[in-house]
Amino acid sequence: MPVAASAIYFLNLRGDVLINRLYRDDVGGNMVDAFRMHIMQTKELGTCPVRQIGGCSFFYMRISNVYIVIVVSSNANVACAFKFVVEAVALFKSYFGGAFDEDAIRNNFVLIYELLDEIMDFGYPQNLSPEILKLYITQEGVRSPFSSKQALDKPVPNATLQVTGAVGWRREGLAYKKNEVFLDIVESVNLLMSSKGSVLRCDVTGKILMKCFLSGMPDLKLGLNDKIGLEKESQLKNRPTKSGKTIELDDVTFHQCVNLTRFNSEKTVSFVPPDGEFELMKYRITEGVNLPFRVLPTIKELGRTRMEVNVKVKSVFGAKMFALGVVIKIPVPKQTAKTSFQVTSGRAKYNASIDCLVWKIRKFPGQTEPTLSAEIELISTIAEKKSWTRPPIQMEFQVPMFTASGLRVRFLKVWEKSGYNTVEWVRYITKAGSYEVRC
Amino acid sequence: MDSAATSFSSSTPSPVDYIVLLILRPIAAISFVFVFIALGWLLAWKLVLVHVPLVQEIFGLRKKPAKFKPQTRRISRYYNSINTRNSSAPGSGYPPVLVQCCHSSSIAIIKPNYSRVAISHLWSSLEPPSNRIRLLCSTFSQAMAPPAQSSRNPSPSQPSGKGEVSDLRSQLRQLAGSRAPGVDDAKRELFKKVISYMTIGIDVSSLFGEMVMCSVTPDIVLKKMCYLYVGNYAKVNPDLALLTINFLQRDCKDQDPMIRGLALRSLSSLRVANLVEYLVGPLGSGLKDNNAYVRTVAVMGALKLYHISASTCLDADFPAVLKHLMLNDSESQVVANCLSALQEIWNSESSTSEEAAREKEGLISKPFIYYLLNRLREFNEWGQCLVLELVAKYVPSDTNENFDIMNLLEDRLQHANGAVVLATIKVFLQLTLSMADVHQEVYERIKAPLLTLVSSGSPEQSYAVLSHLHLLVMRAPYLFTSDYKHFYCQYNEPSYVKKLKLEMLTAVANESNTYEIVTELCEYAANVYVAIARESIRAVGKIALQQYDVNAIVDRLLQFLEMEKDYVTAEALVLVKDLLRKYPQWSHDCIAVVGNISSKNVQEPKAKAALIWMLGEYAQDMDDAPYILESLAENWEDDAPEVRLHLLTAIMKCFFRRPPETQKALGIALAAGLSDFHQDVHDRALFYYRLLQYDVSSAERVVNPPKQAVSVFADTQSNEIKDRIFDEFNSLSIVYQKPSYMFTDKDHRGPFEFSDEIDNLTVGVESEHVVAATSVDANETSDLLLSTSEKEETRAMVANGSDYTAPFYDSSTPALPSQGQSELAITGLLGTADPGPQASTAIDDLLMGLDLTAPPAPASAPPPLKLNARAALDAGSFQRTWRELPVAISQECELGSQGAAALTSPQALLHHMQGNSIQCIASGGQSPNFKFFFFAQKAYEPSVFLVECKINTSTTKAQLNIKAEDQSTSHEFLALFQSALSRFGLS
Repeated sequence: MPVAASAIYFLNLRGDVLINRLYRDDVGGNMVDAFRMHIMQTKELGTCPVRQIGGCSFFYMRISNVYIVIVVSSNANVACAFKFVVEAVALFKSYFGGAFDEDAIRNNFVLIYELLDEIMDFGYPQNLSPEILKLYITQEGVRSPFSSKQALDKPVPNATLQVTGAVGWRREGLAYKKNEVFLDIVESVNLLMSSKGSVLRCDVTGKILMKCFLSGMPDLKLGLNDKIGLEKESQLKNRPTKSGKTIELDDVTFHQCVNLTRFNSEKTVSFVPPDGEFELMKYRITEGVNLPFRVLPTIKELGRTRMEVNVKVKSVFGAKMFALGVVIKIPVPKQTAKTSFQVTSGRAKYNASIDCLVWKIRKFPGQTEPTLSAEIELISTIAEKKSWTRPPIQMEFQVPMFTASGLRVRFLKVWEKSGYNTVEWVRYITKAGSYEVRC
Repeated sequence: MDSAATSFSSSTPSPVDYIVLLILRPIAAISFVFVFIALGWLLAWKLVLVHVPLVQEIFGLRKKPAKFKPQTRRISRYYNSINTRNSSAPGSGYPPVLVQCCHSSSIAIIKPNYSRVAISHLWSSLEPPSNRIRLLCSTFSQAMAPPAQSSRNPSPSQPSGKGEVSDLRSQLRQLAGSRAPGVDDAKRELFKKVISYMTIGIDVSSLFGEMVMCSVTPDIVLKKMCYLYVGNYAKVNPDLALLTINFLQRDCKDQDPMIRGLALRSLSSLRVANLVEYLVGPLGSGLKDNNAYVRTVAVMGALKLYHISASTCLDADFPAVLKHLMLNDSESQVVANCLSALQEIWNSESSTSEEAAREKEGLISKPFIYYLLNRLREFNEWGQCLVLELVAKYVPSDTNENFDIMNLLEDRLQHANGAVVLATIKVFLQLTLSMADVHQEVYERIKAPLLTLVSSGSPEQSYAVLSHLHLLVMRAPYLFTSDYKHFYCQYNEPSYVKKLKLEMLTAVANESNTYEIVTELCEYAANVYVAIARESIRAVGKIALQQYDVNAIVDRLLQFLEMEKDYVTAEALVLVKDLLRKYPQWSHDCIAVVGNISSKNVQEPKAKAALIWMLGEYAQDMDDAPYILESLAENWEDDAPEVRLHLLTAIMKCFFRRPPETQKALGIALAAGLSDFHQDVHDRALFYYRLLQYDVSSAERVVNPPKQAVSVFADTQSNEIKDRIFDEFNSLSIVYQKPSYMFTDKDHRGPFEFSDEIDNLTVGVESEHVVAATSVDANETSDLLLSTSEKEETRAMVANGSDYTAPFYDSSTPALPSQGQSELAITGLLGTADPGPQASTAIDDLLMGLDLTAPPAPASAPPPLKLNARAALDAGSFQRTWRELPVAISQECELGSQGAAALTSPQALLHHMQGNSIQCIASGGQSPNFKFFFFAQKAYEPSVFLVECKINTSTTKAQLNIKAEDQSTSHEFLALFQSALSRFGLS
């Protein structure tokens, strides 16, 4: 059985119950107390998201300032349970319009109870798709759309299909004045670089986000410059593969709307999109990643009370492009007393709460290399000898119109019966995932 | 002339002209200008300024308080109506700030929660006076404005108010009959309040009747809230639940499928056993409903019915209906629910009924599996998980079928839902178990999706996936050797993820990548989180033990030793020890470094034991080994028993290598060991002592045999268990790394069970100690079983034992410093009861009989037991003793009906037992279950008895667990206790 959750709890950070929903009777006693006593009030919190207390297993997840706890008594499917929580939170967010935190829960608890009833029955997950649930779970108290008086004689097949059925992601009969599609290719670069500048580990996880405002039931087809897709295409059309950069995707996962059978046979991404915003696909690339930044740190410890830090950051993307919101966090020892720095661009300051020099550059053009040189004075302590472990330098950035993987959208075709014209917008952005350079 | 006249007149202006010139004109000019300015301001004020919040605040223009949350008009309308009704309780609807403000402006408010302190604090915290003015203005203007924020955020810390509940009741009563417009909104708010109280844990079950009365409404939201309430409290109010049946049944026939479904769901969630008869009818029609939503709910309802009353469900033949639905329904969700319901029903029925077992088999038959696979795409992600889980159990008849299924399912590996991917992987792995080469290919195929899942999603999700990846890596590490970089830890990852990654890094290390991996692991050794640093050092050690080329690694380990961090040194010492056991050829390098470590810097028992082991083993290479050992032996009591054991052995070893230097240390160690209260240490010391007595050369053969290098360290888990875990892929077993029977079966569970009495214990004993105590219980029962059989053996041994005790008085060993002292120590030891397990106590008892100085054997003529009437014991020492002592007697006894009747509160029994010189240290529980911890002390000795007593007044039984420092008198004490207990209630 996939989950068969016995109970679900929402707790705030103090351990007060915000929501509790018992689905089954097979867990006795007061599970919240057990959770509080054995997990929240001990050091166990955060050591493992799955814990067994007595005969029950607790899965818990922290989302902003709320703990969501699922209690099961059987040998449940962990991945499914966590996925359920994530999906449920996404659903709640779409209902509350963004935030999911303690206040939002308190203000909407009746709605949450309603939803919890719908999305899980007797511990088994049911339908979690926001598009469908929004049709009949509303706080307006109206009767469900497919239940009005005339529905008596002829059941509306469509609506029931949506509540339970297979094409759960799109409603029929949508109409927009302007048919638009927005594609966002968002990549996050994860890097781990040794102090000597060699790349220990590097990968890109990307996702293609889509925002659709299309009428009717359109059929979309997306073409990327990935290797397999291109090869297949040239095979089919008996054309030699075009020269130019092709990308090798390590692994791809798609939104449930994508016709996977067709992807496997023809290597094309074709789908009927849900209305509004959704995540079309996710991919991972490890080969041939263009790193947008190189960080060259030199940290010298001059005696026991002084340190010299020089960091050079080099942007290696095109000169016409620029990165936004670049933040470089350079760790310094806890016992830092005084810092003084010089930067060639941006602003730097010492943040004592995270023991870092935070260097911010709002706009960082390509092919430049600003530097920071800092002198740090330390309080001399006898007790903490050699205690500084040199955490890595961390970096945050966003580079618009740049993809670290080199992925490009080649085409996006839209077919609809009525044959309207669509406007497609494509954006690329590369963000820092965990961009770490050891020093 | 004329011109002259005019020039004259102009040269001599009249006084009027002067007035006009000097006063009127300037006034006109100034007023002209001011009019313009005023006009300008007026315009600015009217058009712009009145809308600026700051200005509004300063001038107190704001009519409405700041909106904290977006709200609909409906709610504010409701609050207005509430407020007019509630004029008797002013202030209750105001936000905190307002109430504080009202305090300061001396308006009488009956609300004690917000004290003057708060406002003064707020006041003084606002430093610039302008802010203060603003505060005053805003709060005042808010106070004047109608309150929009009622107590809609009841804080959970708010004390449960009986007043609130009765308030709610009266309001509900008012609303119950009324049909006024807008009454639904009012009801909604009330219901919300009730449900929020329910969530916080305030018992609002007393409102049941009123809630049911109010529930007759067409409003669907109200209905849902009411259903929720009813579902929650029906179980505690079975009689009142009957009231709801009527309207629920009516709703089940509603024309709106939504309401039909909801009502059916609530009806089946009542969980009251004697109401199931009302459930069968609606369920039956629900299963045949033409709306899929109702059917999905009804299917689950049937399962709920099965859990309430299995026989009713089976009698109504619901399983057959479900099966029919499962095979024929057009809606995938109905099918999925049928599948999960039937799996549950047949699983639990299959043990008793053959038919159910057959049906259960039928679920994994070829036609059915194919039916599901063909419809797989219709299912939503959760349904797909369910189906794939079932498919994994299916055994295809031939390999072609295998490949067909795998081809069909391959696209599922690209699904965005990790659970689906994992379920597919399970199918693949199970299908190819018998085909080794394909199995390996499957590993290659699933690698990429797994790695993607790991790197995406929340840490919790990736932990779940990582556990599975961990399992696969452990099964076939060689397949993942090239992917080691994926297991590098990121700085910010949670430690549970890091730990798994470290283990995987260890597993995949081979000749080609060892260098990189070890370099990476060394980075982690400097990690801020001590636990991870330790893990990574251990990982380095494990890799060293796996590999042949340990050169570089040994250097690294030795570097760790020099890092001068306690935990790093400690871990590294343990590793160096293991390494030396496997590769004795490295001893020279290692010993040089280890010799430099001062034993004072090593505190952890494991590390200290490792250091001592090396000192003993390589005594000939380390000059000052005997002296270090000697100083350690002198501080005998400071170390853990584990360390003392090692110390004994190490000193023995050292003694044979360098006798003259070690003699003194050996003497100290043996003397201390013989008087040690820890059983194992004592036994080992005795053993060495007698061995030395017997023959020194054979002692050397025993203690110092030629060592052989250990080639393989024992694996902790057997292959059988590993296979079992693998069979349970995609479940909790993987995360816990143990098969499911270990954590779902009652027998294997940890000793801790949830019980209310634990929370309710009033005095002293903290729950965790109780947990410890119960865990002792669990061990003890098995020990008690053991001890009887062991006694037989020990008796045989002790028959020869007199040989051993005799030479005790022999002073042939020069090492013993003071014979008399040790003798005293021994007798003292034998005289007091031992905290060790039962079996060893048995030895002691028997030894006692042999020893002349020991008290007479307990079995013969027990003296009458007297208890000290004023025994005293504090909670701390009670807990300590309770933990140390084994259970002497565990027995159930009758309390007697009068006793049960008299036991209305714990206090009653306390006083009674006190009269019998038995004191209570902690008590708790509510009728009918009570729990007590008693203690008593012997009249003329310090020896105490501890009793855990669980009383159930409804069965009039008492469960006693008695622990005694003096085991011999525990039975008498039991008799005494029982008689005291049985007198309870008679007097």
